[in-house]
Amino acid sequence: MNSLLTIRRIVVAGLLGAITILLGATRAGFIPVPTPLGDATIMHIPVIIGGILDGWLVGAILGLFFGIFSFIHATIPMFKDPLVVFLPRILIGITTALVYRGLRRSNEVVAVIVATVVGTLTNTVGVLGIGVLRGYLPLPAAVGFGVAAAIPETILAAIIVVAVVLAWRGVTARRRTADL
Amino acid sequence: MESFEVFRHVTIGQYLPGESLVHRLDPRAKITVVLLLIAAVTFSTSYTAHLALLALTLGLIALANLPVRYIVSGVRPAVPFILLLALMQLFVYGEAAASAVRGSAVLWQWGVLRVTAGSLRLTLVSLARLLELLLLVSLLTNATPTTSLTYGIESMLRPFARLGLPAHELSLIGTIALRFVPVLGEQFETILKAQASRGANLRLGGRLHFIRSAQQMVVLLVPLFLNALLRAEDLILAMEARCYGGGRGRSHYVRLRLRGPDYAAMALALVFTAAVLAARNALP
Repeated sequence: MNSLLTIRRIVVAGLLGAITILLGATRAGFIPVPTPLGDATIMHIPVIIGGILDGWLVGAILGLFFGIFSFIHATIPMFKDPLVVFLPRILIGITTALVYRGLRRSNEVVAVIVATVVGTLTNTVGVLGIGVLRGYLPLPAAVGFGVAAAIPETILAAIIVVAVVLAWRGVTARRRTADL
Repeated sequence: MESFEVFRHVTIGQYLPGESLVHRLDPRAKITVVLLLIAAVTFSTSYTAHLALLALTLGLIALANLPVRYIVSGVRPAVPFILLLALMQLFVYGEAAASAVRGSAVLWQWGVLRVTAGSLRLTLVSLARLLELLLLVSLLTNATPTTSLTYGIESMLRPFARLGLPAHELSLIGTIALRFVPVLGEQFETILKAQASRGANLRLGGRLHFIRSAQQMVVLLVPLFLNALLRAEDLILAMEARCYGGGRGRSHYVRLRLRGPDYAAMALALVFTAAVLAARNALP
C-alpha cells in the first residue's frame, strides 16, 4: 500500500470527487454572472473541504477533478490553457491544507475560515494571474473580474465550508462514543 | 414534484448493459478513442468540424444502442443555465469573441447588445461542444462497466508507476467517484424534498442573489457533504475489514487483451482527430 495514499485518503477523495462531478455535470456548481469571465463557482468547495479534512494530497487530487471539469466545459480560450485551468486548482487544495494545518492549534473555527478564504483566493488570483501572465487578459480587467468574482465566492465558500467541517467534527465526535 | 428531480437525471456513470460492438471493445481502446475525440471537440472552433463531430458521436451512440433521449435527459435540469449562458455569450461577448475567434463583423446591434460573427460562432460552438462532450462521456460510462473502466485506466497509467505515480490508487479514486455520482444524486434529491417538507424556501433559480442563495445552498450542501463523508467512513471500514491492500502484486480475474477491432477503432479515431485538428483553421 502506498504510504501517502491511504485507504482513507483514497475513499474521501473519491466521494468528494463524486460531489465535484455532480456539481459540474449538472452545472449546479457554476453560477452565471454577467462578466466576460463566465461563471462564478462553488466547485472549489469540495476541494477546500478535502484539503481541510484529509490533507494536501486529497486537496490536490480534488483540484485536479475541478480542473478537468472547467477544462471540458470551458467556452473561452483562456480556459482552454491547461496552465490556467489545472495549476491554480491543484494549488487550492495545497494552500488550504497548509494554512489549516498551521492555524489549527490556535482556533479550529478561525483556521477553517482563513483556510477557506486563502483557498478561494488561490483559485481567483491564480487563474486571473496566470491569465494575465499568458496574455489573455489586461491587468485592470483581471483585477475588476477578480474582485467581482472573489467576494461572492469567498462568502459562499466560507459559510458552507465552516458549516460542513464543524458539523462533521460533531458527527465524528458523537460516533466515537455512541456506536456500541 | 417535477422541480425536485434535479439530480435524478444524472446519467453519467450509469452502466447500461448491452452486447453492441462498443460494449465489447477493450476499455483501454474506448478510453483512447474518447480522449482523442474530446481533444478534437475541445480544440476545434469551425462549424464543419462540429457538424462532423456531432454526426460521429451520434453515430457511435447509435452503434452502442444507447438511448439518446436518456442521455440528453441528463442535462435537462441545466437547460435554463445553459440558455442563459448562451444568450450572454451571444450578446455580451461580442468584442472578446471577435478577437479570440475569427469573425469581427457586427451582425446585429442594439445599444450595448451586439451580435458579432465571432460571438455567434462562440455560442453555437459552445452548445455543440456541450452536447458532444455529453455524448462522448456517456458513450464511455454508459457502455462500460465501472470495474473494467478501472482496469482500463489502471493499465493505461501503469507505465507511469515506475516514475512513482500511484496508478492503482488514482484509478480507484476515479472509480469510487464515478460509482457514487448517481448515489449522491439521489441523495441530493431526497435532501431537497426533506428540506422543502420542513418549509424551506428552495428556489433553485435566483442564483444571482448570492447571499440568499448561499443560505439556501447551506441547507442543501451541508447534508450532502455529511452524507458523502458518512458513506466514506462506511466504505473505509469495509475496505479495512477486508484487508484491502492496493495495487502491488495484485492479479486480475479478467485479463485485458487488445484485438483487431480495438486497434481499428483507435486508428480511426486518431486519423479523424488529426484531420479535424490539422484543418481547424481552414474549414468554415
